[in-house]
Amino acid sequence: MNTVNVSRRRFLQSSTVAGGGLVIGFSLTSCSSTPAPLPMARAEGSWTPNAFLQVLPDNTIRFYTARSEMGQGVTTGLATLVGEELDVNPLDMDVRLASTHEDYVNPLFGMQGTGGSTSIRAHYTQLRQVGANTRALILEAAAKDLGVAVSSLSTDNGYVVADQARHPYADFIATAQTLTIEGDAALKPATQFKYIGQESRRVDAIAKATGTAQFGIDVDIPDLHYAVVVRAPVAGAKVRSVEASAARGMSGVTDVFEIDNGVAVVAQSFWQAKQAAAQVEVDWDSGALGRIDTETLRADYAAALNAGDGVEGPDEGDVEQALTAASTVHEAEYWAPLLAHAPMEPMNATVRIDGDRAEVWTGIQFPFAVPAIISRVADIPAENVRFHQTYLGGGFGRRGTVNHLTEAAEIAVQSAKPIQLVWTREDDIQQGPFRPASLMRIKAGVDADGNLTAWDAARAGGNISPDSYRTLLPAAFPWIGDAVAEGVAKLSEMYFEKFATDESSTEGLFEDYDHANTRVTHMTVDHDLPLTFWRSVGHSYTAFAKESMIDELAEAAGMDEVAFRLQNTRNSPRLNNVIRVAGEHMARMNPPEGHHLGFAAHHSFYTDVAEIAEVSVENGKIRVHKVTCVLDCGQAVNPDIVRAQMEGGVVYGLTAALYGGLNLERGAIKESNFHDYPMLRMDESPEIEVIIIDSGTEPTGVGEPGLPPVAPAVANAVYKATGQRLRSLPLQMA
Amino acid sequence: MIRLTLNGQPVQADVDPETPLLWVVRDHFKLKGAKFGCGAGLCGACTMHVDGSAMKTCVMPVGAVAGKSVTTIEGLGTPDDLHPLQAAWHEYAVPQCGYCQSGQIMAAAALLETNPNPSSDEIDTAMSGNICRCGCYPRIKRAIQSVSEGALAYDAMTQTEGRA
Repeated sequence: MNTVNVSRRRFLQSSTVAGGGLVIGFSLTSCSSTPAPLPMARAEGSWTPNAFLQVLPDNTIRFYTARSEMGQGVTTGLATLVGEELDVNPLDMDVRLASTHEDYVNPLFGMQGTGGSTSIRAHYTQLRQVGANTRALILEAAAKDLGVAVSSLSTDNGYVVADQARHPYADFIATAQTLTIEGDAALKPATQFKYIGQESRRVDAIAKATGTAQFGIDVDIPDLHYAVVVRAPVAGAKVRSVEASAARGMSGVTDVFEIDNGVAVVAQSFWQAKQAAAQVEVDWDSGALGRIDTETLRADYAAALNAGDGVEGPDEGDVEQALTAASTVHEAEYWAPLLAHAPMEPMNATVRIDGDRAEVWTGIQFPFAVPAIISRVADIPAENVRFHQTYLGGGFGRRGTVNHLTEAAEIAVQSAKPIQLVWTREDDIQQGPFRPASLMRIKAGVDADGNLTAWDAARAGGNISPDSYRTLLPAAFPWIGDAVAEGVAKLSEMYFEKFATDESSTEGLFEDYDHANTRVTHMTVDHDLPLTFWRSVGHSYTAFAKESMIDELAEAAGMDEVAFRLQNTRNSPRLNNVIRVAGEHMARMNPPEGHHLGFAAHHSFYTDVAEIAEVSVENGKIRVHKVTCVLDCGQAVNPDIVRAQMEGGVVYGLTAALYGGLNLERGAIKESNFHDYPMLRMDESPEIEVIIIDSGTEPTGVGEPGLPPVAPAVANAVYKATGQRLRSLPLQMA
Repeated sequence: MIRLTLNGQPVQADVDPETPLLWVVRDHFKLKGAKFGCGAGLCGACTMHVDGSAMKTCVMPVGAVAGKSVTTIEGLGTPDDLHPLQAAWHEYAVPQCGYCQSGQIMAAAALLETNPNPSSDEIDTAMSGNICRCGCYPRIKRAIQSVSEGALAYDAMTQTEGRA
């Protein structure tokens, strides 16, 4: 029961197991009574001092990255951390993607998962310490072998330097593995950093530029069969009857059968499976969702906001009184639609079950879930499940879900064949889980001196946590039954509906400004749509409402948009500074005739970002020419990757701001592929300038924080260009 | 039996001629560099060269390329012998998730083959059939520009000056 009383992120933190927190010790497995063997490649004569590093006899330094690489550059980032203290250039390492093991937990989650823009922050101290301790052992071994004092030795990119002679680290591994470290080696001060904070290329770029990087969909094993699932147009609908005789007779088709989510078609190739799936006729039994259209959804949210009897979130001061006393009061409503993630690699998983053992290949944000899910579906021991992590062809939160894995396991069991399940692009766009739609209403007051005094914010829509409990609880606690997991999910639905806000539903709606009187209300309106994290989660819609409202308020109060923000963020000095730097930058910009500048700032994932959008509107079409992004993420471990993440966040956010919107028609998503769910392409992509403020603090998130400010920055620019205040996403001129 | 030239080698495959070239290359010839993204010719992840032109192969029946020459990312360059565009992708740290990049590079290579010195607008036009969800567009453009004829000529000039 305790677990429902928290947001998902808190749940993940509170379930911290061995290995959580900073691992300062050395043999990381020693904290467990019966450590599982490390899932690392065996190499004759190599030294494996811990779960992250291997030194091979040819002096290859192999680094196992515990976080999932979905493009955010985490392989390069984590290799940089360990390489800094080990004194090995990250680009010279043999970087591998780790399988599952307790030593690979995300110290901030307490389980093996990647998300929430946590990776660099979570491993910043741990991996430097791993590198430092490993280097200390090598130096101690070298001193013994060479018969000199440790103090006479230094290191240089994988070599021990002794009196000008260079000895590969590998020369000392025989001795090093006989040694144990007593205490943690000292970490370098930032002033001595050689790799952290420097410009660097990416460790994965050559593989990804030559087609040799392996994604889940590229996995090929003997006798592999391919599966496509015929899915209900309306989420959660159940099969009433199936007519599959035509499909069964098609070339290459080996099996057609019902699974929990639909009808699986198995064939010798994906193409054959897809062709045959199109010939399967299913009669579906759609639930209540089958009566819902986009208009119904929005109307239900509006009705809930009007009724006003939601769940109270933060409540400080006296909002009503402050609104009465304010000299300027303004109220507005903002809409954000359902969205698909549309990673370029459609969801897929490869599962081979052989007696009581299984192997799984997929690229996933939460590897911890893999053994438990396969174990439950295939009824085999979790420790017999061997997981192979691949590169993720985009994550964005979508690969933090596991439904494709469950399906692949079900199909492998029923067909008794090695299976690669591939979702089609149509499955991907139409089936979710989705970024929830939101209707947000903010009423705010400003006093005569331009101080924001009252902030009364409400949001109506679905919550993502119940679905997360439903899918991840059985993986986190394998001993609980399906019924218990479903029970907890149902309880959490009721809990968020009646007693407390799901943190991710309102995050970012109220935290950034200094208003002393604050009220946040949440109305859960759940139409049984499958929902999940979507890059920057709640911030992806709350920032649009908040930063549009701030612009509107500044105008209503007769103030400059930057001055108003500066005056009302004094309690958030880092955000305030980012706004100041961006504001000064904007003042120096000189856009051509017809181009207008819009401003927005937002704090998310411990990082502060301000963005300036240069926009023109011609013949009713919004054109974004340039986005300038100013951020403070503390120590930028790889500044070029920080820039790349801001560029990526801007393009992903801009795609949603200009085009993103899924529409329901009788419970089914109308859009199906990139022709009607369009993506920003190169000819529409703006120039993106990134300015990193180095505040010298420990690193904070970069994967997501670049996204939230872009939609309101564009909307605010469109207002300047046209006088039209667009309060619905995607932004479309009237 | 379909016969074609794949990355310079004559090959044959006994497959349904309606099967899209992408799946024949991936599943029959086991070259996994070209990707499945949409299955409808909308995203460009499957781009290969057919007789030198960039084509979306997820909607191109293999029967239509009988007797033709097909080049995939694997035929363009390898980690040990990079095509100049692949080297530029490394130099400018272009890829993020990397899934679309085989298609992006094949589209870019076909562009530079016919237009060695494209303008910014010409690059936009040639590349607008290729989607990148990670938003690598500014870097893709920079990398293409860096290996365009003008840029290479400029590099050669500055190197010569450096030596002199």
